[in-house]
Amino acid sequence: MKKLMAGFGRIYRGETTFNFIGKRVIGFTVSLVIVLAGALSLLVQGLELGIDFRGGVAWELPAGSITDQDAREVLEANNIETSNAKIQFLTSSESRVMRVQVGDQPEDIRLATQKSFAELAKVEVQEVSVASVSSSWGRSITEKAIRALLVFFVIVSLYISWRLEWKMAITALVAMVHDVLLSVGVYSLFGFEVTPATVVAFLTILGYSLYDTVVVFDRVQENSQKFATSRQSFANVANVSTNEVLARSLNTTLSSALPVVSLLVVGSMVLGAKNLEEFAVALLVGMLAGTYSSIFVAVPLLDLLKRNEVKYKPFRGQLATGAAMVELMGLSAITKQTRGTVTSGDESDQSVQDTVSKVAQRATSVLTHPPRPRKKRR
Amino acid sequence: MNRRRQIISLTLLIVVVASGLIANLVAGNTPALGLDLQGGASVTLQPDGEFDQAGLDVAVEIIRARVDSIGVAEPEIILQGSTVIVNLPGVKDQQQALDIIGRTGELLLRPVLQTGILNENPDTTVPTNSTTVPEQTSDSVEDGAGMVSGGPGASKIISSATTVPDPATSSTQVATTDTSVAVSTDTTQDATPTLGLGEDPNDPTQTVLLLDKQGVAYVVGPAGASGKVFKNDARADVETGQWAVVVGLRSGPDGDQLWNKLAAACFNRTAECPTGQLAMVLDGVVISAPTVNEPEFTGGTVQITGSFTAEEARELAKILEFGAVPVRFGVSQAQTVSATLGADSMRAALISGLVGILLVVLLLLAYYRWMAVFVLAGMSVSIAFLWSLVSLLSRTNGLALSLSGIAGIIVSIGIAVDSYIVFFERIKDEIRLGKTLKNSALRSFESAWRTIVAADTVSFIAAIVLWYLTVGSVRGFAFFLGISALTDILVTYFFTRNAVLLFARSKRAQGRKVLGIQTVKPEVM
Repeated sequence: MKKLMAGFGRIYRGETTFNFIGKRVIGFTVSLVIVLAGALSLLVQGLELGIDFRGGVAWELPAGSITDQDAREVLEANNIETSNAKIQFLTSSESRVMRVQVGDQPEDIRLATQKSFAELAKVEVQEVSVASVSSSWGRSITEKAIRALLVFFVIVSLYISWRLEWKMAITALVAMVHDVLLSVGVYSLFGFEVTPATVVAFLTILGYSLYDTVVVFDRVQENSQKFATSRQSFANVANVSTNEVLARSLNTTLSSALPVVSLLVVGSMVLGAKNLEEFAVALLVGMLAGTYSSIFVAVPLLDLLKRNEVKYKPFRGQLATGAAMVELMGLSAITKQTRGTVTSGDESDQSVQDTVSKVAQRATSVLTHPPRPRKKRR
Repeated sequence: MNRRRQIISLTLLIVVVASGLIANLVAGNTPALGLDLQGGASVTLQPDGEFDQAGLDVAVEIIRARVDSIGVAEPEIILQGSTVIVNLPGVKDQQQALDIIGRTGELLLRPVLQTGILNENPDTTVPTNSTTVPEQTSDSVEDGAGMVSGGPGASKIISSATTVPDPATSSTQVATTDTSVAVSTDTTQDATPTLGLGEDPNDPTQTVLLLDKQGVAYVVGPAGASGKVFKNDARADVETGQWAVVVGLRSGPDGDQLWNKLAAACFNRTAECPTGQLAMVLDGVVISAPTVNEPEFTGGTVQITGSFTAEEARELAKILEFGAVPVRFGVSQAQTVSATLGADSMRAALISGLVGILLVVLLLLAYYRWMAVFVLAGMSVSIAFLWSLVSLLSRTNGLALSLSGIAGIIVSIGIAVDSYIVFFERIKDEIRLGKTLKNSALRSFESAWRTIVAADTVSFIAAIVLWYLTVGSVRGFAFFLGISALTDILVTYFFTRNAVLLFARSKRAQGRKVLGIQTVKPEVM
């Protein structure tokens, strides 16, 4: 526990030196296993599509003084899952009608339920109508959504390529696909019913994942410019950057996930709004995956793509850990610092100057030991 | 100097947001809730006469397109048995719902007797060009075979289009559409009394005055045929450098024979069709009124050309396709529909949302100490701004907040808080290097701003693309994602930046513990 607290303290003070790149095998393996399990489940049992996608059956009956609770009891008595049943009351000046929609049911259950509803409403069986309902989520919606997503991927890749670089665009998209696959896989594994809200939750995850990756990559980009003259392997740049944004990543995840956890725990478990549960689970899994993948998938993957660039190739394999990484972090700060003093002239306090020279000394000590160039083999 | 600008900009933002909020509160605008949360109006459409499943499916698509074109709310359209049920969120007036949905949906082909431009004010007699062809109608109909031989009609149309007033200028003197009944009772220069205009624009047996979407008026004769003469294979295509719609003709007495009879009448400019134009009318609106350029269509296809945009051509193709398998809807009935999720779900979502926000606030207080006050204040500004905007759009554009919208907002809470976290973490980095709060804050904002803009731009691109290319609940989500990203940018720049920078340079803040870290007290201020 004490060690854990100390760990939090280090994150808080930005002193962590986790070797994300060196441990990439762990991250890749975990992701691969989960994604494969999800993909397998998708292939084997697919997704449980809700009434909005597959259509189902609807009963309409004179509502009288019947409440939706009564209707749920009738459905349960006929062994019909009620968590996603749509129960609506239609009122006009003449009448009040209850419309109950559930997923598709076999003929005998339809008729049995029709009879139960007639008993509930104390009317003749003929007065309760039974009809198949189509999906409200037309095929055109799916087609349009997929087309929109493809357009979005293209534009976002272009934007990230322009703002950062194309390798980051590819990696960010891979991380995003990873997150969405993971969340869809969880849905399939646990047999949750997919509703339009779920689709929206998946889109949310997609956006969140990209957003999170962009924030991390922005720091990587910034640091790789700072380290441009100091001859480092890309792994070092990536490790330093990731550790620097770690506090931010954890904080953001916590503060985005807390409302969702609250939706799950308070809304669904305490207050019993069951239809919020699966929505909240999808969001939560996706958000956690989004943060996880930015750090453990996107950054190591970027390293794989970039470590052989001309700029980084000579130093490939170099990995500063522990104290060496702390020194590198100082180096990233010092470049910032000296640049700052040059540009803003109002830096007059002595203490800052002191720190500058102190850190500068540390930085030069890093720089005076350039890595020995490798011998060229014939 | 700089400081004064920051104060002014900060005050201005707060004043703008606060007055927006107060104005909405005074006007009684509140966010409308979606079907799942609050319910709305439900319209039941019963098909009349003969219809088949394919026709119903196309009808649902057409109705969906029609409803989606009205506003941003998320309608629900389902087939229950053979009736079409349209649920509209946020619509409290049942009559209003009927007006939106309840139309016949039959495509009619009616010969055009006269065209012209309606004068908004009948008293000032502006002579209208009743015989020239307005540009909107510069479509032409050609035989599929004729098309290969060079399309003689197209050049004729282009030359006539130059003699015609620009629709942009003429549209200023045009009455608004959709009020066909009211308009036909107005005195118009086109409608000579001898024509005996019918009252009901949807009556296929009478001569009536109709408008197209641009407001061009047409006096059309009794319907010569319905959309059933076409096969349902209409498609939009680029032909000889411009967009055209190609549709096949059914064979037999109800198909090409009927069409050719009508086409011959128009081509020969008989009394039945003196202008040579054939109007395609759906729900009392002229969709297209091409000039017929062939007396007989032997190729089995009809090609409609004109100055279409890609969008217009696709729209026309879709309507023709629908016209080919029409479903005539009879009595429709409007009812009020209750929420599907129910009041308890709504309450649960609200309570858990508030608990969630409280937890976030506690976390931030624990982590950033009293700098979290800025987050709280900034979030209040964001929420006030969003609330005003959503309330206003609920009132004006029929926006309704559904569970999908709430998902968008939950994400936006995370994204908004993240902007502060990015900023504060930067300040922490700088302070740790022993810089003064003032200098740290200034420089941190610059680098944090870059990151925030980059990340928000990605969200915003997602929102724009999804908004333009999708329908239904995806669109609702996109809308809220988009305005949240925009709000985040605005609040970060105009509120957070100014507030934190002002605080950072204030005398009181120097040398204090900020964000849980002791800052250096500068000797010279």
